[in-house]
Amino acid sequence: MIKKKCVAMLLAGGQGSRLGVLTGKIAKPAVPYGGKYRIIDFPLSNCTNSGIDTVGILTQYKPLELNDYVGSGKPWDLDRLNGGVHILPPYQGQKGGDWYKGTANAIYQNLEFIERYNPEYVLILSGDHIYKMDYSKMIEQHEQTGAACTISVLEVSLEEASRFGIMNTNDDGSIYEFEEKPKNPKSQLASMGIYVFTWEKLKKYLTEDNDNPDSDNDFGKNVIPLMLNNGELMMVYRFSDYWKDVGTVDSLWEANLDLLNPKIDLNLSDRDWRIYSRTVALPPQYIADSANVEHSLVTDGCEVYGALDYSILFENVTVEEGASVDYSLVMPGAVIKKGAKVKYSIIAEDVVVEEGATVGVDPTEISADDFGITVIGSGVTVGKNAKVGAKEMITEDVKGEKA
Amino acid sequence: MISSSVAGIIFANAHDETIARLTQKRSIASIPFGGRYRLIDFGLSNLVNAGVSNVGIITKEKYRSLMDHIGSGMHWDLDRKSGGIRILPPFNVSRVRLYQNHVEALYGAMDFMVRCNAKHIVVYDARTVANIDIGAVIKTHVENDADITVACRKGLAINNIDNTMTLDINKEGQVVLTGFPTEISEDDWRSMGIYVFNREKLIDIVKNSYETGGDTINDDIISANVGVLKVMAYKFDGYSAIMDCPKAYRRANFDLLNPQVRKDLFNPERPIYTKTRDDMPTRYGTQSEVKNSLIAEGCIIEGTVKNSVIFRGVKVAKGAVVENSILMQSVSVGEGAVLDNVISDKNADIGGGMVVKGTEEKAFLIEKGQKI
Repeated sequence: MIKKKCVAMLLAGGQGSRLGVLTGKIAKPAVPYGGKYRIIDFPLSNCTNSGIDTVGILTQYKPLELNDYVGSGKPWDLDRLNGGVHILPPYQGQKGGDWYKGTANAIYQNLEFIERYNPEYVLILSGDHIYKMDYSKMIEQHEQTGAACTISVLEVSLEEASRFGIMNTNDDGSIYEFEEKPKNPKSQLASMGIYVFTWEKLKKYLTEDNDNPDSDNDFGKNVIPLMLNNGELMMVYRFSDYWKDVGTVDSLWEANLDLLNPKIDLNLSDRDWRIYSRTVALPPQYIADSANVEHSLVTDGCEVYGALDYSILFENVTVEEGASVDYSLVMPGAVIKKGAKVKYSIIAEDVVVEEGATVGVDPTEISADDFGITVIGSGVTVGKNAKVGAKEMITEDVKGEKA
Repeated sequence: MISSSVAGIIFANAHDETIARLTQKRSIASIPFGGRYRLIDFGLSNLVNAGVSNVGIITKEKYRSLMDHIGSGMHWDLDRKSGGIRILPPFNVSRVRLYQNHVEALYGAMDFMVRCNAKHIVVYDARTVANIDIGAVIKTHVENDADITVACRKGLAINNIDNTMTLDINKEGQVVLTGFPTEISEDDWRSMGIYVFNREKLIDIVKNSYETGGDTINDDIISANVGVLKVMAYKFDGYSAIMDCPKAYRRANFDLLNPQVRKDLFNPERPIYTKTRDDMPTRYGTQSEVKNSLIAEGCIIEGTVKNSVIFRGVKVAKGAVVENSILMQSVSVGEGAVLDNVISDKNADIGGGMVVKGTEEKAFLIEKGQKI
C-alpha cells in the first residue's frame, strides 16, 4: 500500500438511540438531513475537500443502509486507486473476534487497517454532526506543535459548558486538564469529538488502554485522560464556524431548519466546499397552481399542490391540495394527502399521512412542558382524520377516525 | 442476453441549424431540457435501461459541451470495461471534411459498427425525447425476424413537418410505404427517429448507400429498403416529442408542466439519468410566489415564477416576475425584473428592473452569458 500522510477513521457504529424511531432501522450517520443529504455526507465531504482520500468507516449497528449509501465512495470522490473509503465492520480473526466495545476499542481492532497505509497522523471523526471543516488546517497545527494529540474545540457559553467535555488549557493552547460535563466549568472550550493523533502515539495508548480490563475503551473517558496523565503534549484546535450535534430529535429538527435561518451561515452549495451526496435520478420539483410555498427548501422529485411554510421537503415527497406542512421535515418518498396538516414534526421516509389527519402541535397552542417535536417513523401510515399530538413518537400505523 | 447482443448509436448533431440559436456553441444533443437534462440523456437512459451498455455517439462539430457532459459515462452507468460509451467524432478514416449527411456519418462510424460485436444496433436520433422501453422494441424486432424496426407514434405534435416521415403499416405490423407529406393527421404514424437494425444488414446498407451517394436515414436507408428488406414498425403510445424546431423545443419543455407527461417521461422503473451537480435543494423566500412551474435544484426563488421551467442554480430576486419562460442553468434575474415568454440560455444576468418580453408565438431568446 502507498503511504498516506493521514488516514481518517469515522466512527459510525452507534445506534443514536436518542433519535428513537428515526434510527430504528438505520444507523445515525445514515439519517436523512437537509432535503437530499445524510449526516455522513458532512464528515465524508469534509475529508475529500481537505485532501484526505483514505477513510475507514467503522460500522456496527444496523449498517445495511449505510453500506449501500456509501458504496465504493464515488459520490464523494472517494473511489480511488490508492486509499479511498472502506467500510470496517467488526470481524473474526484466528483467535475469534469481538463487537466494538467503545470508540477507542473500535479503532484498536482496526490498527492493522491503518498500519497498511503507515500514516503519520490519524484523524478520528464521528458521524454525528453537521459542520464544514478543513481538517488539513488542524493537521497542520498538530504537525507544527509536535503534539501527540490535537483536539478540536468549540467555544460554548458558560451555561452550556456543563453539557460537554471541557478542555482546560494553558495560554499556549496546551491542555492541562480534561473535565467531562463539569458542574463548575473552568473553561468554555468544548470538545467536538474530532481528534488528530500522531500514529505512533495512538498505537501505544490504544494498546495500553486495551490491556486495562477496567477501561470502557472510550476516547473521551479513557484514552485522552491516559495520555494527559502520562504528560503527553495535547493541544486544542479552535473551531468557530457552524457545528451542530444531531443526536436528539430536537437538535436534528433544529439543525435542519437552521438551513432556512438567514442569520446562520450554512451554505451547502458553496462551490469551494461542496457537500456531496449520493442521489437517485429524479425529475425537477413541480409546484402547482394550488400550491403556496414560502420560506422552505424543496428537493428533486417533489410534487407540491398544497402549502409549505418554513419546512424542508426531501426527495420525492408529495403534498396534495389542501394539505399543509409547517415547521416540519418530510423525508424521502412521504405523501401528505389532501387536507392533512403537518406541523412541528419530522415525517420519516415513505410515511403516508392520510386525508384530513393532523400531525404535531403548534407550540403557541400548548404549554412549554407539553410541547415537543412529533416523529412519525418510516413506512407508517397515519389514518384518515387521525390526530397525532406533540412529542409523540409513532412506530405503528395510526388508525383513522371519523371526520 | 441483451447487453452483449445490442449496441447503440446516437446521432448527436442532426440538423443543428433547426434550433440555430441554441446550438451556436453546442450540438443538439447537448441542448438543455426540462430543468436539469440535456436532450441526449433520454436516448442514453433509454438504451441503458434496456441493458445496452455499448454506445457510440456520432458527433460532427461543437461537441466539447457534449464531451464535458458525458465524461466517463459514469452518470448513466456507462463507465464499463465491457462496452461503455464512446464519442465518435469525424476524421476517423482519413478524410478532409466533416460528415455532410447521415449516411456519411454512419460510414464514418463503420469501425464501431464492425467491432461492437453485437447482433443488433439501435440507432437513436438525439432529438427524440421519450421514455421508451428499448428492450420491448428489440424483442419485437427479434420476434418478427425483422431486418429493420422503426419506432413510431401517432399523430400531431408540433415539430418541423419537413423532417416527418410517415409510415403505412399493414396488419402484420410491417411498413409497406413511407411518406413525406406536407400535412399530417391525427391518425398518421410517424417515425420517432429510433431504429433497430441487424448489425450485418446495417453495415451492408451503409456501405452501399455511401457508395451510391446516399444522404439521409429516412430516404436512403429506411425508405429505400421498404419492400426490399423486412421493415417492421413498433407502435409507441407514450409521450414523445422531437426537438427539431424552436416551437417544438419550447412546447416540449412546457409539456412537462402536465402531471401525465411527467409521470410518463420520469418513470421510476426506467429513470432518466443525467450529470449531477451536487446542488442544495431549492430555497423559497418569504415572498416567493410560484405557480405551475417546474423548478430544478440549487435555485433561490424570492420572487414570482409562473408557468415556467427553471433550471438548476437559477436566482429570481425579490419582486422579480418570471412568466411563461424557460430559464437555463445559473441564470440570474434581478430585483423587480419582468420576464415573459423568454428563453434564456445559461449564465445570463438580467439586471434589476429590466423588462424582457417575447410573445406566445415567438419567445425572446437571451444568449448564453448575456447581460441585460
